[in-house]
Amino acid sequence: MNAITTATTAPSSYTHAGAPASRLSPSIMEKLTILTDAAKYDVACTSSGIDRSGDGDGIGNTLACGICHSFSADGRCVSLLKVLFTNECIFNCAYCRNNCNSDIPRATFTPEEICTLTIEFYRRNYIEGLFLSSGIIVSPNYTMDLIYQALYRLRTVYRFQGYIHVKAIPGADPLLIEKAGFLADRMSVNLELPTASALKQLAPCKSRRTILGPMRQIQNGIVHNKHEMIEYKKAPRFVPAGQSTQMIIGATPENDFQIMSVAESLYQKFNLKRVFYSAFVNVCHDETLPMLPGGPPLLREHRLYQADWLLRYYHFTVEELLSADRPNFNVYLDPKCDWALRHLEFFPVEIHTADYKTLLRVPGIGAKSAQRIVKARRGCRLDFPDLKKAGVVLKRALYFITCSGRMMYPVKLEEDYICRNLLSDRTQIPRDLREEGYRQLSLFDDVSHGGESNVRIPV
Amino acid sequence: MYVFQCEDSIDGIFTGVYDAWASRCGHKNICLSSADNDNFTLFDEFIRVTPDFEKSRKVSRTLIRRLGVRFYETICRCAMADGSLRKLPMDKANAIYQTIVMALALPEGAKVLEYLSEPCILCIFELKRQTANEGHHLLEFLRFSELKSGILFAQIHPKNDVLPILAEHFTNRLPLENFIIYDAVHATAAVHRASKNYMIADASSLNLQLANDYSPEEETFRKLWCSFFETIAIEERQNAKLQIQNIPKRFWSDTPELSGKLT
Repeated sequence: MNAITTATTAPSSYTHAGAPASRLSPSIMEKLTILTDAAKYDVACTSSGIDRSGDGDGIGNTLACGICHSFSADGRCVSLLKVLFTNECIFNCAYCRNNCNSDIPRATFTPEEICTLTIEFYRRNYIEGLFLSSGIIVSPNYTMDLIYQALYRLRTVYRFQGYIHVKAIPGADPLLIEKAGFLADRMSVNLELPTASALKQLAPCKSRRTILGPMRQIQNGIVHNKHEMIEYKKAPRFVPAGQSTQMIIGATPENDFQIMSVAESLYQKFNLKRVFYSAFVNVCHDETLPMLPGGPPLLREHRLYQADWLLRYYHFTVEELLSADRPNFNVYLDPKCDWALRHLEFFPVEIHTADYKTLLRVPGIGAKSAQRIVKARRGCRLDFPDLKKAGVVLKRALYFITCSGRMMYPVKLEEDYICRNLLSDRTQIPRDLREEGYRQLSLFDDVSHGGESNVRIPV
Repeated sequence: MYVFQCEDSIDGIFTGVYDAWASRCGHKNICLSSADNDNFTLFDEFIRVTPDFEKSRKVSRTLIRRLGVRFYETICRCAMADGSLRKLPMDKANAIYQTIVMALALPEGAKVLEYLSEPCILCIFELKRQTANEGHHLLEFLRFSELKSGILFAQIHPKNDVLPILAEHFTNRLPLENFIIYDAVHATAAVHRASKNYMIADASSLNLQLANDYSPEEETFRKLWCSFFETIAIEERQNAKLQIQNIPKRFWSDTPELSGKLT
């Protein structure tokens, strides 16, 4: 076990009214750019999952809903200061820009620099907290120890009570991971690739064992901590906002069914809060990996996220959405509409009598509007305009619901008819597909996702 | 019909509610208005309500005691909203009055807020959501700058009167900081002193020159933040539409990272 150095004394010049910029090295701008650039392909930037009020004696609080502070040019939210501790990595994962074989500028923060940047950005309300990941410098243990030191300093010296998301480094000592877990709000270990064989091929330094090991450890830690909280209310919290993971989509030939099955089992067996999907971008221009002339598979990623929501909030199972002989999502329709069209025997649903779970299955009714309907119908009878005000998307829902026994206007409950009408809703389909025209529309074939047909799969 | 014309503020509307209730004209014959209309209708009697802090406090107390804090909060959020932004079935003040009357009459009390098919409840629902949404947007997009004196200063341009929401949040978040949040539209400011509670003050005579006197480090951290913001975007995924959808352009001018991109 490495010696864990802990800095307990506050820098003498530190007051809450501003930390001097002089404690930043002159090359801080360059460092920040390099290490941000290296971290940007990590998807998770959420600050949700825990409500914690400030104790009046430090800086920061957290909200369970999370707060996004800005949105970058790609439309993704910027919630946390997302940086790597270092990109001087000794691993050689093929999909990663920071692998030891690539010729890029390298940099490493000091724990002090990370603290100063976090606190100063936080005071100005630029960020909601820190997302700290890292390349592997020297060894997994050494890296995890550096991360721990930065967190320790931030939490104790600067009394930072905002959000911290930290990566557990695969292969690090369980004790170090546990110690970091008591300082962080959320931890994640990246699954990277959906199957063990793909992982072996693209990330030879990592293995399923070193990834799932820490994941299981964190899960057990959270369960154990819950029991402690029952016995002793002031017990320190371990990873209170839960753990998440991410998978790269489109670098290896897995289909949607495999990916979603993996996600489902992660939710069930590892109790994860979120699984993130990251459309593959060939940053290294590696010839053994797919070249994607149509850009990253964004539509496929979008469909996976939609299905992921169906698993977590709408009580769907993967078997209902996909099967071995229909292994990919429909490009033209979202997974819920697609499911509804294949199960017209469930419809139409009567708004006044259907239970909450049945309402959730209607396309155009979301969790919020279903809750509102269930509450509102106790007081009085609802009509279609009322549904619209409760947030139901009627142009999708009208084929599947009745209100007091009436449909909104006479429609045939017929697959082709509904499908045609749903597709005339232009927001359903991304523009590039729409402009191609609908001529080759063969809905229930396995349409391959946009751009993917051009993928070269390495043998 | 008796029309009670009240000032467009929480105190103004609550005083209107008090006066209307006390007038004993019958709830059916009463209507409240918070809009400045100079278009009087022929057969209605117009009664002007002068805001009275004592009356307003009595209404607040009754609401909290009889209907609970959640209900009271919803009504306040609704009163803070700008009622002219969207087409509503009735005036803001009237919706508040009708809702309170309905809630106090029915045994289920605060639950009336769920009956969305009632026009007054729908009004309350939409206005509350309007304020809450903008409040949350500004929790996200408000930016402080450090002044020479070490005070953090932020300027916002909200449509609804969301300052109390923001002040509450940042008092909890930054207890050891001195900060000022200046609402340039409503000319009010929330002032917070380290380890004290905040207060909301009239700021129509605020000297904005002082707010441009930044500390020497401010520039450094702004630059660092802007370069972080530029770098974090993935070029292959550029999506300007999604960005605007998520951070509407009217918020851009008050953030350091996007104000330079406004054309």
